[in-house]
Amino acid sequence: MKVKLKNVFVIYFLVSVIGLMYALLQLGQPCDCTQHLKSTSDLIHAKDKKLVQLQNEVKRLQARGKAPEPQMLPVIYVITPTYARLVQKAELVRLSQTLLHVKNLHWIVVEDSATKTQLVSELLAQSGLRFTHLHVETPKEHKRKESDPNWLKPRGVEQRNLALQWLRENRQLSDGGVVYFADDDNTYSLHLFDEIRSTKRVSVWPVGLVGGLRFERPLVEHGKVIGFYTAWKPNRPFPMDMAGFAVTLQLLLANREARFDLQAERGYLESSLLQSLVSIEELEPKAENCTKVMVWHTRTEKPKMKQEEQLQKQGLGSDPSIEV
Amino acid sequence: MLRRRNLLTTLLIALPWALLLTLWHQYPTTRYLSLLRKEADENVTAKALFNSTSLLREEGLSSCVRQPVAGAAPKVIRSYVYSRPPPWTDTLPTIFVITPTYTRPVQKAELTRLANTFLHVQNLHWVVVEDSPRRTNLVSNLLEKAGLNFTHLNVETPKSLKLGLSWMPSHTPRGTLQRNLGLHWLRDSFSNTQPPAGVVYFADDDNTYSLELFEEMRYTKRVSVWPVAFVGGLRYESPKVSPAGRVVGWKTVFDPNRPFAIDMAGFAVSIKLILERPQASFKLDGVKGGYQETSLLKDLVTLDGLEPKAANCTKVLVWHTRTERPTLVNEGKRGFTDPRVEV
Repeated sequence: MKVKLKNVFVIYFLVSVIGLMYALLQLGQPCDCTQHLKSTSDLIHAKDKKLVQLQNEVKRLQARGKAPEPQMLPVIYVITPTYARLVQKAELVRLSQTLLHVKNLHWIVVEDSATKTQLVSELLAQSGLRFTHLHVETPKEHKRKESDPNWLKPRGVEQRNLALQWLRENRQLSDGGVVYFADDDNTYSLHLFDEIRSTKRVSVWPVGLVGGLRFERPLVEHGKVIGFYTAWKPNRPFPMDMAGFAVTLQLLLANREARFDLQAERGYLESSLLQSLVSIEELEPKAENCTKVMVWHTRTEKPKMKQEEQLQKQGLGSDPSIEV
Repeated sequence: MLRRRNLLTTLLIALPWALLLTLWHQYPTTRYLSLLRKEADENVTAKALFNSTSLLREEGLSSCVRQPVAGAAPKVIRSYVYSRPPPWTDTLPTIFVITPTYTRPVQKAELTRLANTFLHVQNLHWVVVEDSPRRTNLVSNLLEKAGLNFTHLNVETPKSLKLGLSWMPSHTPRGTLQRNLGLHWLRDSFSNTQPPAGVVYFADDDNTYSLELFEEMRYTKRVSVWPVAFVGGLRYESPKVSPAGRVVGWKTVFDPNRPFAIDMAGFAVSIKLILERPQASFKLDGVKGGYQETSLLKDLVTLDGLEPKAANCTKVLVWHTRTERPTLVNEGKRGFTDPRVEV
């Protein structure tokens, strides 16, 4: 066949008609649509979820109209120092799940770090809580090494002081509120926050599983604190744990120099702050005259990484981009 | 003549393409393709909205959802949330969480923070099984005050079992009888009635669970799996997922050839499957350390029937945390603290 234009056109026409017929036949066939169906059914599920949540939101909004206005409740500022280690994300996740139940709460998280880490930033942003994200690195001479026991040097001091400084710079005496120091590995019951909220100056309550005891507690007589029931160093000015007291914001703003002492001896951190704020007689006992335990000084084990370390030696460690 | 032939040729060229174009626009299959493309974009919106629809928005903030650009600061959600727990709804599948527990100093603390987590999850039914001859007041009161839907059971592990394997304490399977009792209760409760759509999850009282995990497991059809952090001596263990989205193996170092090399916290089973296979339960006899989960799952599903969750097993949503045993050195022989105060 000669390469005439006419022939080219004929061939072209035939090819395109065949192609069209093929495509049309394909469109008519049943296809393997399970992928599409699965993704659309997932879409429907997601929409269902959203719908239910929106419905609940509406119900909650309606219920809110009857509940007392949350802004009337004094704010609770929860100051949590934290540092990067394997269990950090898990600890902050479960702490945020507890705090999410408390009305009018402002979480101040202070990282022991030179910069704000992405892990904590994202966690806070998605937590649903009102928060302030700060950071300050503990200078090397005050940091304990991995091998040091946990009681060797006081921890979280600079971080808590930075939070106090932030409060003093960003809040005024007219703002109400109560400040509580909550470490990221303790366990808090929701009743505790009701007790905290009613603080007038400095309130105290028992703390479970601390000081080598089932619980440490203030001794109360006729509604006043007269001493402390502890077995470890009971002669401290305030022999209690960080989780066992709360201070009103006003008191901290009125005493601008009150802060935790970096040089404080083991166990004297709490006293170093409270000495300049209040005397034992002025303490307010909570938790039914200090007979109920509403906070526990739990500690989380360091997870065993034996296999991980072995793998890393071979260069086959787990994917570091997957956040744990 | 020439003109007409030219016209004819042009028509013959244009006709097939015109036909194709008109039919393409009309046929529904092609709409599927464009839907898929739009869906890929919509999923991003859906995720961002999921985070915020359960919360109220503060006045003053713009009401539109801003999607985070990669690398930019994460979107901040500011709101007040006082759910306690969210009301039960008939449209969502139920999550039955079976938690074995035993008396020790940190028990109340563990159950308290677990309850605080569960209070955020909709349609959750907590089955707490105590390793104890009687239901203790501590757990009973805690469950009643928590406000969750719960079932309180108890069965004591016989001392022979506790001691029999004590030469290898780390491998003693614990909570087996308790979990089996939980399964038994489920099968009993729904033997005559229509079971709700839902899933069963075994949650130990010292682990940490993100809220996202519960939504991932809610729509399990048979058995779903996901990564667990801090198990097997690794940062995390996870199922190996093929590009097609099927589970093909296990990324573990400790005995990866187990049929199901997964931790108790790494899988969930649909209620339907539990009720279909009444003989499936955790075995005690001849079960080596690490094979507890296998002893249940082998009667329920095969490897290729597993559903990978958590973005094809690339996200960690549950952490196998363990709580240190508190040193109660100062309690002494006679006890320093008042034993009537519950801790």
